[in-house]
Formats: sequence, C-alpha cells, structure tokens
Amino acid sequence: MNNRLKALRAERDWSQAVLAEQLGVSRQTVNALETGRYDPSLPLAFRIARVFGQPIEAIFTE
Amino acid sequence: MTTAKRNILFGGLGAAVALLATSFLAGIAVGYLRASGVTVDLHAAAFWGILVLSVMAMVGAMGVSVLWMRSIDEAAREAHKAAWFWGGSAGMSVGGVLMILSSLPGAETIVGAAGLFGRTDPTAYMAVGAFALMTLMLIGYGVVWAWWWLARR
Repeated sequence: MNNRLKALRAERDWSQAVLAEQLGVSRQTVNALETGRYDPSLPLAFRIARVFGQPIEAIFTE
Repeated sequence: MTTAKRNILFGGLGAAVALLATSFLAGIAVGYLRASGVTVDLHAAAFWGILVLSVMAMVGAMGVSVLWMRSIDEAAREAHKAAWFWGGSAGMSVGGVLMILSSLPGAETIVGAAGLFGRTDPTAYMAVGAFALMTLMLIGYGVVWAWWWLARR
C-alpha cells in the first residue's frame, strides 16, 4: 500500500517526531509508515486522516 | 513521564517490594519457629518458600509485561508478535532436534549433556533442558525482532 504521509508531513514542515507525538506512536513507526513497509491498522489510519484533515483514501492508495 | 510508563515503573517496584517483603517475613517466621523450639524442616521450608516466591516473581513479571505491551504502539506490538511466533517457533524447532537426539538410545555418547552447576541429578538435567529451550527461543525472538525493525527502516 502506498501513502502520501511524507509529502503531507513536509507540507506542514513537521518532523517525524512531531507527527509521532500527534499520532501517539513512536518515531520509528512513523518512519516505517512513510517508507510503506508497515500498513497501519484502521484506527491508526483514521487518526492519520484526522491529523492531516483529509479522508483516508486521499492519503492511502493501493 | 506518561501514565503508562508510571504504571510500569510503580507496578514493577510494587512487585519487587512484595517479593522482598515476603522473603523477609518468611525468614523471620522460620527463625522465630526455630528459636521457639519448633522443629522446622529447612529443606521443605526452602522448597515451599522458593516455590511461592518464584510464582510471585512470574506473576509480577507477567503483570508488568501486560502493562508494557499496552503502552507500546501497534507497530512495536506487531514486531513482538512476529518475534514471538517466528523467532520462538524457530528456536523451539532447534530445541526439538535436540530433544529427539536426546531421546535416542545411547544419546549420552552423541549429546553433550551438561549438568547444572556440577549437579548431575535428574532435576538438574530437566532444568538444563528448560534453560536451553528458553535460551534458543529467546535468541530466535531477538533475531526476528531486530530483523522486523531493520526491514522497516
């Protein structure tokens, strides 16, 4: 699964640590998400969508 | 410090204090009974005492593990699940080979059966087997856990 996490984070000039803090996960988890090597659970995907103010399908694509 | 980390810290400290207090009180009780002239079988007392303490230690460790597992995020939890299943199973498989080898007739000539601290009684061999299996599973666990994170850097 692909995602736009890195681009969305860069638009906001957030570090991985800042995003991790907002999502309630570790920086390593944010890194694993951004590289597409870890797919989030539905609850985490909803949290990500809420943090960026976008629908899930606008962030994650198959 | 987050609430989860505080719970883990105080849970761990509480378990350690309970363990020490129980040991202390058991020692005082045995000393008092012996001083009062009551015959106490020290071997039996030590056995039951250590049994109670080890159960307490393991229950405490399990409790702290539950608090800790709840405090980590989902990716960290997935890493541990993968490590438990793949690493633990691989370690157990290696242990399984040793177990089959050790059950063969004349196994003492092909398997280096070592005693525990110089002991060669059956219980010592059983303990060596348990420690060996646990060690193999932990090695497998550690390797897969590290691999899981390295593959997701």
